Amino acid sequence: MENFSLTVNGEHIEAEINPATTLQNFLYKYVGLTGVKEGCGEGLCGCCTVRVDGEAVKSCIILALQVNGKRVQTIEGLAEGETLDPVQEAFLDHGAFQCGYCTPGMIMASRSFLDENPAPSEKEIRHALSGNLCRCTGYHKIVKAVLSVDPKKEIVAK
Amino acid sequence: MKVKNEHEYNNDYEYIGKPERNVNGVEKVTGAAKFCSDIERSRMLYGKVKRSPYPHARIISIDTSKAKVLPGVKVVIVGDEETAPLRFGAGVADEYVLARGKALYVGDAVAAVAAETEEIAEAAVDLIEVEYEELTPVFDGDEAFSQNPPAILHEDLKNYTTIRSVPPRYADNRPNVFNYFRIRRDYDKNVFKDADIVLENRFEVAMIHHVQMEPHCGVAEIDGTGRLTVTGTTSKPYGMHRDISESRRMPSSTVRVIVPTHVGGSFGGREPKAEQIAASLALAQKGFPRRPVKMWLTREEQLMTSTTRARYIVEIKTGAKKDGTLVANEMTTILVGGAYAGTGYLTARNGSFGPAANYKIPHFKLDAYGVYTNQRMAGAFRGFGNAETLWGMECNMDMIAEKLNIDPLEFRLMNCTDEGDLNAFQEKMHSVGAKECLQAAARDIEWEKKPETPKEPHLKTGKGIALGNKYSLVPTASACFVKVHPDGRVELRTSTVELGQGSNTIFSQMISEEFKIPVSKVRVLNPDTDCTPFDLGTASSRSTFNMGNAIRKACADAKKQLFEIAAKELDVSADLLGTAQSRVFVKDDPEKSLDISELFIPMVIGGYTLKEGGEILGKATYYLPGVMPDPETGKSSRPASFYMFVAQAAEVEVDIQTGKIKVTKMVTANDCGKAMNPIMVEGQQDGGVLSMGIGSALLEEVIVDNGVMLNPQLADYKIPTTLDCPDCDNYKSAIIETAHREGPWGAKGVGEGTMVSSAPAIANAIYDAIGIRFHEIPITPEKVLAALKEKEKSGKTTFGGNHDKRLSDIENK
Repeated sequence: MENFSLTVNGEHIEAEINPATTLQNFLYKYVGLTGVKEGCGEGLCGCCTVRVDGEAVKSCIILALQVNGKRVQTIEGLAEGETLDPVQEAFLDHGAFQCGYCTPGMIMASRSFLDENPAPSEKEIRHALSGNLCRCTGYHKIVKAVLSVDPKKEIVAK
Repeated sequence: MKVKNEHEYNNDYEYIGKPERNVNGVEKVTGAAKFCSDIERSRMLYGKVKRSPYPHARIISIDTSKAKVLPGVKVVIVGDEETAPLRFGAGVADEYVLARGKALYVGDAVAAVAAETEEIAEAAVDLIEVEYEELTPVFDGDEAFSQNPPAILHEDLKNYTTIRSVPPRYADNRPNVFNYFRIRRDYDKNVFKDADIVLENRFEVAMIHHVQMEPHCGVAEIDGTGRLTVTGTTSKPYGMHRDISESRRMPSSTVRVIVPTHVGGSFGGREPKAEQIAASLALAQKGFPRRPVKMWLTREEQLMTSTTRARYIVEIKTGAKKDGTLVANEMTTILVGGAYAGTGYLTARNGSFGPAANYKIPHFKLDAYGVYTNQRMAGAFRGFGNAETLWGMECNMDMIAEKLNIDPLEFRLMNCTDEGDLNAFQEKMHSVGAKECLQAAARDIEWEKKPETPKEPHLKTGKGIALGNKYSLVPTASACFVKVHPDGRVELRTSTVELGQGSNTIFSQMISEEFKIPVSKVRVLNPDTDCTPFDLGTASSRSTFNMGNAIRKACADAKKQLFEIAAKELDVSADLLGTAQSRVFVKDDPEKSLDISELFIPMVIGGYTLKEGGEILGKATYYLPGVMPDPETGKSSRPASFYMFVAQAAEVEVDIQTGKIKVTKMVTANDCGKAMNPIMVEGQQDGGVLSMGIGSALLEEVIVDNGVMLNPQLADYKIPTTLDCPDCDNYKSAIIETAHREGPWGAKGVGEGTMVSSAPAIANAIYDAIGIRFHEIPITPEKVLAALKEKEKSGKTTFGGNHDKRLSDIENK
C-alpha cells in the first residue's frame, strides 16, 4: 500500500492505496464517482475519460499513483453549482446522447479539447473525439453539439 | 418533414411532435445517472463464470473442491438439479442457467463463483477443474442445416417446452433446425414462365456484435422471506421475470425484477444470462441473511460470449418482365444461430417479413430457417433478421435493374408496395411510406447527378440506393398505470425500458398532451415488476405504438376518475369537465374550476386522502393479438402490427490502391407514422445508419476460429468512430409521416427500421464505383483488393458470400 494525495473536483483527498489501482478504479470505487464509467478497461472506448491538470486522460489505463499531487476533474465536477458547462448544455440542446454511458467521457474529452481550441472546425472535432466510442448516436449530434459551443458564452459562464 | 394522410391529424398539439429535451438528460450529462453496473450494496459478493474452452463437449466431471476452500469464496455452483432444474428460452426452452451434460460453445457457462472480491472470484474460477470429452462441433451454416449434419446439438429438441402463442416449427429431416417458417403466395413451379429475366443469387452477412457500451450486468438480492429481487440490464423485464421463476419452479410472485432508468444500450442484444447467473449465486447461499451478488461481464466476456447478430445465408431467385414488373420471388433464408435459440427462434421466422412486404410480387415463396451451431447465441439485433434478408433482396434488385437497363430508383418506385396493396401474406397494407421514402432519399442524395469524379485516378466514386421496411410483431401487449398525484403531477408506471431511445421523453410528451401539463410535471417510473405492469418488452420498435396506445387509454381512465370526483365538488356532470395545468374546469365555463390538489383532503397527523377510490390511478392494456399466419402458406390478414418503411442512399469513394471505402454521403428517409419527438426520431436514424449501418457494411465482423472469437477487444472488433462517418453536411435524415389508423396520434415506430437498407445502399454504390458485386458484408479493404485483383485476372465481377454455392449442394453430392 502507498500513500498519495490529489485534488478531485476541487476537493483534497489523501489515500492509501494498492499501487496497482488504476485511476478509474480509484475514482469509481473508492471516491464513489460513478460518472467515471468503465467501458472496456483497456483505453479503447473512452467512457472513463477525465481531466488531469486540464488534459483529457483515459483513466482506466493510468495508475492512480501517477496523478499524485495533481488536479483531477471528473464529469461530476464540471457544472458550477446549478450552472451547467456550455458543453453539457449543448449536449442537452442537440440530444447528443442516448443511453448516456459514453456521455461523461465524451463531454470531458470535448471540454478539454475546446479549452485548447475554442473555435474548432468539424474535422478537428472529429479527430479529437475519435478515441471516444459511442454506439447509439453515430456521433452526428455529438459533433453538432460541440460545433455549437460558443466560445464567447463559455467565458461568461466561467 | 413530409406528411402523408394529412387529414389524419391537425397539428395543433402542444406537446407531442415537439423537440423536447430528453427528460433524463441532466442526469446523463452530469454523471448523476446510475446504471445497473453502478449498484453497490453492503456485503455484496461478486460473481464470475467458469466457461467451456471447447465448442462441443460432454461434461464428465467438475471438481470445485479447490475453489471452495479459497479464502473469500462464498458460493460455488455447477449446473445441477438444484441450480438449474429446468431449461428456459424466449420461445424454445433449450438453455440451462449453467450447462448440464454438454457444453455447446466456447464460453458456455459450466460453473460459477461468488466471492468477496472480483479478484478472488476470478482466482477461484481458475481452480475449478472440469473434465470434458470433446465432441465434433458444427459451425458452418450449410452443414448445420443439412439432413446429415456433423453434429446435433439438441438431441432431445422435440421434447423441449415451447411457447404456445408463437410455437416454433421444426423440420423433421433437419435435426438442427429450431424454427421453420414458410410463405406460399399463388405459387407453383410455373410462376417464373412469364418472366423475361430470372436472377438467382446467394448472399451472406457476417456475425456482428451489438457492442452496447454498458456490458451486461445483474444484481440479485434475497430478503428475509426468501423473496428474490434481480436488478438487471434486460430490455424485457417480464421476459426475464418468467425465465427466472419458471426455470426454477419459483412461484412468479416470489420474484421481483427491476431495471434502472439508465441502461447502456441494447439494440436487441440484452439476453439476461448475467442476471440469471447472479440469481443462482444468490439463491445457492445457505442460511440468513443471504448476501447480494453482482455479476457484471467484462468487455471481453461481453464480446466473446454474449448474443450476436447471426451469420445469415440468403438464397434468392427473382423474376421480372422487360418493362420492370416483378413476377415472382423465391427465397430461402438461414439464420446460422448459436447453441441456444434465444430470440433467434423468432428472428429466423420474422426476418422474412421485410422481403414479404417491400414489393408487389404476385407469386412468392419463402422458406426461413434458424439452425443451431456450436457458437454463442445469436438472436435479435436492430432489424430482427430483416437487415440480413433485405441485404440479399436489395442487391438482387439492383442486379435485375442493371440487366433490364432500368434505373434502380425507378425500378423500386414502380414495384414498391403502397396503401391497399397485398403483401406476400396477402395482407392489405396500410400506412405505407415506401414511395415517399424513396423520393426523399433520391432528393437528398441528388440521385440524378453523377457523383463528382475525383482528380486522383485511383479514387472511384459511385451512388447506390435501397428500400427496406421493418414490421412490428404480433401478438403483442402493453399495460400501464397513470397516477395523478395530489400536487397535480402525473406519474407513469410502465415496464418499457429506457435504453437510450428516449421512450421516457416521448411518453412524458404523450401524458403532457393528455393532461395539458408541461413535460416537467410528468414522471416516468423505471420498470419494477412490483409496481409497473406487464409489457412484452422494449423490442420490435413497438413501444411508441403499443405503450403509447396503453398510455392514451390509461390517461382516459385516470381523467374519468378525476372528473367523477371533481364533478361532485363542482356540482356539474362529469362529462362537461376538462383538465389543463393541473386544474379541472367546466369546458363551457372555464372560470368554474378547481385545482387538482383541492380534491385531496389534508388529514390530521399527516397525508392527503380522497373520499373514495383510494387514488386516481388509470390503468389500461393495449392488446393486439394479430392473426397467426397459416402454417403452410403464411396467409394472414394481420401478421404484424404495422410496417415502417425506409429508403437510404449512399455515395462512396473507393481507393483502388488501398481498397479503402469512404462513405462520402449518406441519406435516410424513415416513415415513422408520426414523429412524437423529432430529436428522438433523428437519434434513432443517426445511430442506425451511421454506427450500425456503416459498421455492418464495412467494418464489423466477429471473427471465429474453431469456435473461438479472435477479436474480442474493441481494438480489433471495430465499430465506427467519428472518422468513419460522413461529415455533418453530408448526412441527411428525413422524417416521413404516413399516419397509422391505430397508432397513437398516427405514430408507428422507428428504431429497428433504421439500418435495414444501409448495407445494400452502400454495396450498390460500391458496384457503381468499381463494378464489383459483393455478395457478403462487411466489405473490407482486403476484400476490395482481392476482388479487384480477381477482376483484373479473370474479369470476374462477383465476390464473396459463397455466391457459387447452394444450400442444396450438400444433399446433391
